[in-house]
Amino acid sequence: MGNIISKAMGGMHQVWRGLNTVFGHTYKEPITVHYPDVAPHLAPQFRGRLALTVNPESGEHLCISCRQCERVCPDKCIEITAHKSPETNKLELIDFKIDHGLCMFCGLCTEVCPTACIINTNDFEMADYTRESLIYDLKKLTLSQEESGFYFDIKDVPLPKPKPAKAAAAAKPADGAAAAAKPAAAAAAKPADGAAVAKGPSTATGTLDASEAVAAKDAASPEAAGAKAPTPSANSAEGSKPETAAKAVGKVEAKTEEAKAKPADKVEEPKSEDKPESKEEK
Amino acid sequence: MISNSNEIGKFGQISLVWLSIIFGVVWVVCWLVGIALPALLQSSYCEGLGSSAQMISEICKAVVPAVALLVFIPINAMFMVLFERRGLALFTMRRGPCRVGPDGFLQTAADAVKLLFKEDITPRGADIAMFTLAPIIFFAPSVFGGLPLLAAVTNNHELFQITNLPTGIFYILAASSIPTIGIVMGGWASNNKYSLVGGLRSAAQAISYELPLVLSLVTVCVLAQSLDVVKIANQQQGGILNWNILGGGALSGVDKFIAAGIMGHQGDAGTILAQYYPDGVWSILATIVLVASCIMLCGIYLTGACAEINRIPFDLPEAESELVSGYNTEYSGIKFAIFFLAEFTNLFIVSSIAVVMFFGAGDNPIPTWVLNFFWPAFSSAVVTFFTTTAGLSAITSFVQSMHIINPETFFAALWVIAKVYTWVFIAILVRGTLPRFRIDQLMDFGWKRLVPLTLLLFILVVFAREAVVCHG
Repeated sequence: MGNIISKAMGGMHQVWRGLNTVFGHTYKEPITVHYPDVAPHLAPQFRGRLALTVNPESGEHLCISCRQCERVCPDKCIEITAHKSPETNKLELIDFKIDHGLCMFCGLCTEVCPTACIINTNDFEMADYTRESLIYDLKKLTLSQEESGFYFDIKDVPLPKPKPAKAAAAAKPADGAAAAAKPAAAAAAKPADGAAVAKGPSTATGTLDASEAVAAKDAASPEAAGAKAPTPSANSAEGSKPETAAKAVGKVEAKTEEAKAKPADKVEEPKSEDKPESKEEK
Repeated sequence: MISNSNEIGKFGQISLVWLSIIFGVVWVVCWLVGIALPALLQSSYCEGLGSSAQMISEICKAVVPAVALLVFIPINAMFMVLFERRGLALFTMRRGPCRVGPDGFLQTAADAVKLLFKEDITPRGADIAMFTLAPIIFFAPSVFGGLPLLAAVTNNHELFQITNLPTGIFYILAASSIPTIGIVMGGWASNNKYSLVGGLRSAAQAISYELPLVLSLVTVCVLAQSLDVVKIANQQQGGILNWNILGGGALSGVDKFIAAGIMGHQGDAGTILAQYYPDGVWSILATIVLVASCIMLCGIYLTGACAEINRIPFDLPEAESELVSGYNTEYSGIKFAIFFLAEFTNLFIVSSIAVVMFFGAGDNPIPTWVLNFFWPAFSSAVVTFFTTTAGLSAITSFVQSMHIINPETFFAALWVIAKVYTWVFIAILVRGTLPRFRIDQLMDFGWKRLVPLTLLLFILVVFAREAVVCHG
């Protein structure tokens, strides 16, 4: 009898302690995050969507097509297409595909990458409607200069060294065309300067400029289009640089165009439609 | 120390807003049907009706309790689901529903709409008649079983007097055993093994826990010498010392003694003690026994009630992890909504019974002598607040003449609401704390612990009340 009573009292005490503990949680702040409204705090080491960086300063693509990531990937979700350029005898990247449906975000590819090109971003919102749309190509994977700079900064990765002298010489006019920051290049090639303004160095200004260009269709577009179209040829027409340099310029420009955000691409389409008209007017 | 005052504040805000909506709507409907419509019928506008006007107004007055319950149950269930979800969120450091409407206010309303529009599926091989009847049988007792409580919880308001029965608590207990049949029917008719096991578990559990539940209430009735819930509620008036939880009136003598001896109210202190505790030491002993027994009886009642309405930790009939939510596995759409509705209504009714039988119904817990000591003019101030408010005489006279607010029942109603939802809150706290019983432990606990304990307490109370003057 006494045993039963003491057991009952002990049980009641346990229940009471449990109730107290649970009620005590009322005073603690909820750990739930208002996720879509409030962005969660993510560590720099967070392994999200894979992406390819460009040099935050010059904007050149950092991938050297060494295929180490492709080899190390346990899921075989990376597919690199590259060819050996006959002129420079170096590998040139043609396409870079990552199947994010296969990827398990182990981060091994980022470990082996010698140029810190492939990285894990903090983006994890990749839901899509089909499996095919999870296969990202070079255009989708490559980050803009700002984004690359941001990830180099938060991940505490040393900035990439400038390329060896040959490539650097080739890249100089490309810098001028893309960033429009160097007055020497701008002064040397005025049409190139105009082209740089029309395109804009960053995605935001790119969209702005594009919309402006659309708005001022009649007056400004013939000049802008005229300035834009001959950019590579104007560079090559200077004649002081070898042909390879001109090719490199064209390539880098194409890449920076690809790296731009989608809206910029979309608005550029009507521009190209305008071109023939303006030529006819001329 | 309290870093969560924001969430607690929101919880309180939601409760207050929803409660005012619920009881505001219920009272407006009651007033329209029970007071405004009969007044209109008997006024000069409806002279053409002749003698039938009298009859119609009588019918209107008679259906008020049923209308009140039918309006109350759906809104209340919506609130209680939200209350439970937000309460559990508080206990588990979450936020709970906070998206639909302002801060999640309308979450359950949206859920209700969703449930009503869902497809109503009857599984193949199910007994269609029984399958359809089960939710009705489960739900109906919470409507007609709750009726006798209305008079008790509204301090015998004239509109609800009609529902009062001389054998009220007996009727309520009889009605509250019916839902078990609904569960067994639903489980059996579903043509699903899990549902069948859930239904049978429910039957076993309900029978086991019906005994301690009824015995504990019977003991209270023995103390009160009545089955009439209004009478039991009225006996407990005059402060917390008169409530049934503290000995069913065994401490009324102490209450009156303090009032007379210390506060200098009418009556002689010595004669009061002698009158209430005639047997000296035996009376003191009996008082202690009565108080202890009544507190234990209240605990047993709440345990049994928890098992009756299948709440955690006694939710074996719908054990999600074992039985895929048991008897209502196959139910969807409006039938599931009815099961859901009835479950939460039952929780409310069980809490109301606890409040009426143990916690003094609409009574103010502060003893009257304390009130008179600190604020002598309190009771008169309340009355004057409602009768003569300076500058608002036109409104107050309208309020009085149309019986919109009756100060006596108004405060009683506020107390009842506060007490009932306190017990609902405690049920949520228990749900957040305790894990589910194993079925054999459940049976052991019911038959080997609670039933003998209640019988023992019953005998103790029957003998102890002879030595003390209790209610009744």
